[in-house]
Amino acid sequence: MTETTADTPAPPRKGWRRPRLGTAGLVLPPTLWLVVFFLVPVGISAAYSVGALSFFPGEAALSLDGWRDFLDGSAYLSLFWKSVKIALIVSVASILLAYPVAYYIALCAPKRKYVLLLLIIAPYFVSYFLRILAMKVILGDQGVINSFAYWTGLRPQDDPIPELLYSQTTVVITLVFVFVPLVALPIFVSLENLDRRLLEAATDLGASRFTAFRRITLPLSLPGVLAAFVFVFVPTLGEYFTPLLVGGTDGFLFGNSIADLYGASQDWQTGSVLSLFLLFMIAVLMAAFARFISLRSVAAN
Amino acid sequence: MSELDRLFNRRLSRGQFVKLGAVAAGTSFLAACGGSESSGSAAGSIEDEPGNLSVLEWAGYEYPAYGKVEGAPGVLDQYVEAYSKPTYTFLTSDDQALGKARAGSKFDLVHPCVSYVQDWVDLGYVQPFDTSLLTNFDKLNPSLVANSQIDGKQYFIPVDWGFSSVMYRADKVEPDGEVSWNLFYDDRYKGKISWWDSPIENFLIWGYTIGQFDAYDWDNWTDPVLEDAKKFLIEKKKLVRNMWSSQTDFDTDVANGNVWIGYAWGGSFKAAKDAKLDVVYADPKEGRLSWNCGFVLGQDTANYHHAHAYVDQWISAESAGWIIPNYYYGHTNTEVDTSGVDPELVKVFKLDDPTALDEPKAHIERYVPERRKFAKAWDEVKAA
Repeated sequence: MTETTADTPAPPRKGWRRPRLGTAGLVLPPTLWLVVFFLVPVGISAAYSVGALSFFPGEAALSLDGWRDFLDGSAYLSLFWKSVKIALIVSVASILLAYPVAYYIALCAPKRKYVLLLLIIAPYFVSYFLRILAMKVILGDQGVINSFAYWTGLRPQDDPIPELLYSQTTVVITLVFVFVPLVALPIFVSLENLDRRLLEAATDLGASRFTAFRRITLPLSLPGVLAAFVFVFVPTLGEYFTPLLVGGTDGFLFGNSIADLYGASQDWQTGSVLSLFLLFMIAVLMAAFARFISLRSVAAN
Repeated sequence: MSELDRLFNRRLSRGQFVKLGAVAAGTSFLAACGGSESSGSAAGSIEDEPGNLSVLEWAGYEYPAYGKVEGAPGVLDQYVEAYSKPTYTFLTSDDQALGKARAGSKFDLVHPCVSYVQDWVDLGYVQPFDTSLLTNFDKLNPSLVANSQIDGKQYFIPVDWGFSSVMYRADKVEPDGEVSWNLFYDDRYKGKISWWDSPIENFLIWGYTIGQFDAYDWDNWTDPVLEDAKKFLIEKKKLVRNMWSSQTDFDTDVANGNVWIGYAWGGSFKAAKDAKLDVVYADPKEGRLSWNCGFVLGQDTANYHHAHAYVDQWISAESAGWIIPNYYYGHTNTEVDTSGVDPELVKVFKLDDPTALDEPKAHIERYVPERRKFAKAWDEVKAA
């Protein structure tokens, strides 16, 4: 041991410094928070999911039945894919609607930029719950849209536009309405940081405005778009409140099943299986996106 | 349902449901680690107790909203003046209440419905009342008292009761012959029907109406029968506009004309009448369903005597006289005076009829031994 140390020089400690007490003090609270309020509860859920813990005392029995039943083509699994579908539609629709708005504010309205931004965020001054209730007023059979349709004669009285309230469509409309401002922000930030000289250069070199958008603006704003996508997709995947209020019988989603299993069904085992599955799928997705986004920003630099 | 509670639920559910659900579970874990309080008992007197009564209660049943009388002392004033104002936590369903207790919260009193009392007992969260401490106990409806006993013990003091039945718009809906629950499955009213989102009741209704058997006799629910019911409900689900989970949602839908037929409690009839709608609270030929809620006493309560005093106030004749005209619910106290109440309501809700809840015209709720079996089937109906 001592000989080798004498013969070979000690490896240089590149960039290594002893962690200071201050660093530990900064890192400790969030770490503790994560352990106590995230890792431990996930562990408890895992224990429920394999029957190590049970809702009623004396029922606990270790088995993987909960997982097997879920993965073996249960109604819950198809419900998960339904949630994935809805989440995709909502994310894409929100981005398509928010992009032009963010584009306009970032690039076309230099003077009123922050006033417009404030207007975009204005809906957040009202609680989420009230905004959903407002959607019920707008979309109901005697609501704003249907009343207008009756008044103009587009629809006969008492024959409301189907699917407007209490359907998958309603869930999509409501969530898009809720998410558009949120989605506009990261896209705005990425457009705002765009180097304008690139656009000037493109024009100098004879590119049309559309070509400049397609080859410069859009690729450079993609990190913002992807961040926006994650902002919408992840919460929507586990969404339960909006379907509960406006989804009707058709808009029932995966999150509603989890709520039911922990609630009315008193089946915390299956509930835990579903929750952990959702957590796992989101973790996989986030890992994939984190990699993609960081590569993108490196490429952009 | 309290708006605050809903907002709170919303915060818990938005974003990463799992993460936050996990937080709740974590809190319960921590709570479970805490030491247990000294267990209350019949020994000792009310003066020795801390008196900070905590009640897990339905919104609208809390002091001072409950029993409030304009220009006079309210129903609960006597208790509050003698001791102190209880602390309330709100529940929106029995399952949620049980979930809160399971997650480690402790209460002196909880207001569940009778079909869940066995669960509270099984989980070891409650203890029997000493009925000799309740001066009003002998005035309570004997059939409700009998329905709520477990092993001869009074773990539950029945208080409020009411019907669950079909309510429909008389100006829009024409029942086919004698009024029946099958209005819920009537193809003519596609998109105008609202069921209650509850795993048990929808199967009970199917049992009484389509299965034509005593749906509360659990022996009748063999696996093939449940499978038939499930298939039928999946098929008829297409007619349903919304399955309501909070009464406010249903009331709003009725008021806005979104639905014409629905599963309704007494309060919804009041709300529709207040909205000047032409509604009928039906007496279906298969019989109405009915519910009964009341109090259970926390196993670890440090306020044993306070809890009894509070419940005694709740089951008094004056409490009955208040709840009937204000919420259109029945009350277990049989000495109630209904002379001041709108005669139409007394008739519709049979408020002066002590046999109103007897079979076969009504089916009072009771414990469901295999609740999970129904819950799973119901989840499959909803997910289909």
